[in-house]
Amino acid sequence: MVEYRLDCLGEACPVPLLKTQKKMAELQVGDILVVEVDHSCAMKNVPEWARKEGYNVEIEETGDGEWDIYIEKTK
Amino acid sequence: MKLENNKYFKAVVKEAWPYTVGAVLLALLNISLFIVTGSAWGISGTLLNWGAKLYQAVGGQLQNWFYYSDPARLRALETPFFSHGGSLMNLGIIVGAFLASLAASQFKIRKIKSVRQVIAAIVGGLLMGYGTRVAFGCNIGAFFSGVASFSLHGWIYGIFIFVGAWIGSKLLVKYFM
Amino acid sequence: METKTVVTNRAAVRPRKKRRNQLPFAIVVFLGVIYVAYLLAGKSAGLAISWIFGICFGVVLQKSRFCFTAGFRDPILTGSTSLTKAVIIAVAIATVGFGAVQYAAASKGGAIAGSISPAGWHVAIGSIMFGIGMVISGGCASGTLMRVGEGFVMQWITLFFFVLGTLWGVRHWAFWQRVFFDGAPRVHLPSVLGWPLAITLQLVVLGALYIVADKWGNRQKD
Repeated sequence: MVEYRLDCLGEACPVPLLKTQKKMAELQVGDILVVEVDHSCAMKNVPEWARKEGYNVEIEETGDGEWDIYIEKTK
Repeated sequence: MKLENNKYFKAVVKEAWPYTVGAVLLALLNISLFIVTGSAWGISGTLLNWGAKLYQAVGGQLQNWFYYSDPARLRALETPFFSHGGSLMNLGIIVGAFLASLAASQFKIRKIKSVRQVIAAIVGGLLMGYGTRVAFGCNIGAFFSGVASFSLHGWIYGIFIFVGAWIGSKLLVKYFM
Repeated sequence: METKTVVTNRAAVRPRKKRRNQLPFAIVVFLGVIYVAYLLAGKSAGLAISWIFGICFGVVLQKSRFCFTAGFRDPILTGSTSLTKAVIIAVAIATVGFGAVQYAAASKGGAIAGSISPAGWHVAIGSIMFGIGMVISGGCASGTLMRVGEGFVMQWITLFFFVLGTLWGVRHWAFWQRVFFDGAPRVHLPSVLGWPLAITLQLVVLGALYIVADKWGNRQKD
């Protein structure tokens, strides 16, 4: 199990989601991707996409208007 | 008991609302605006008003522009910012979003990250601005209010905006990521 | 939809940044909004109404993260249609409300109000330009204004050039008028098709689009 970080701070929609989709495809099952975002819409559409894919998702607010989105590749 | 842990405060102020709630509220607001003022919601017409005033402020002359050969259009520019309903509404959108993000403790100055963002902002802004004049409105004025007003131009807009979004997506992935 | 899941095997949480509670600032801004409304109401009720509507639009757009751009872009780019469906719902509800207002006015012999403009190829050209612009800059007119309020410096630049773009557009008005606008009809569908057919048709088409969007969003990836 490896934990990767993806820095999407300052990135506008839909860039965070596109980068997340690309990165998740490279991960092994069991790996975790932590996406750092500060775009309030990405904080909604990235988890929504990941949940639909069936991955485990947690969101943590790390600062004012900044979030870490934890995505665990489950399959 | 801390306010941040109150479940109503959390649901209403802190967390994001579902898209459907936004859809229903925006529709009801647009209908109310239409009933109260007699005009449907629009944004970009006011942005032209700002542009024209800005141009005049830096010494530009609009009298010899074909568009402003209509004296009513020129006279409309004499209304000061704080007596112009459209300007107040657009400013209100900015302040409303500022207020909502502050209330959730999510306001942050998001700095520019790269040159490509600046280029995207300039090119995107100019294309949108120009497009609104030719299409008679933006996603709000031409599509949302246009289709709701049963205007054929709203439907044409709705079909071709997908073509634009498709081209834009290709460009975004290729040059702006 | 919003089922909570837990990420197992997670590394320890990193030390957090110091967070500020911005709620006191929000209260100050809120009082400021009320005060401005009060000042405007002293000049004219209409101005205060415009201001309050703007505030409401801004709050709703920000809270629901509503984004017309994503509604048109995501089906193509990311495969998500949740905002597309939301946009369709908004248009469908507005259709009913606007229809009622217009019908009431028309049946009294009044003029039909609303956002009705000349239809023609210029709308296609303009909306394609707009579509490209909104995707690369990450927000349409409402989205740009909302993100200006959220503190996105990039959108401040977009707004400035959006404003310049509108001016650039009317600079060429003579050309557009001569080639496209002259002779382009303002088509109000119920005036052509009749009220029952126009309303039914519009709602059926919106309903069909909703179903297509729903299917598109749920389709299995291969």
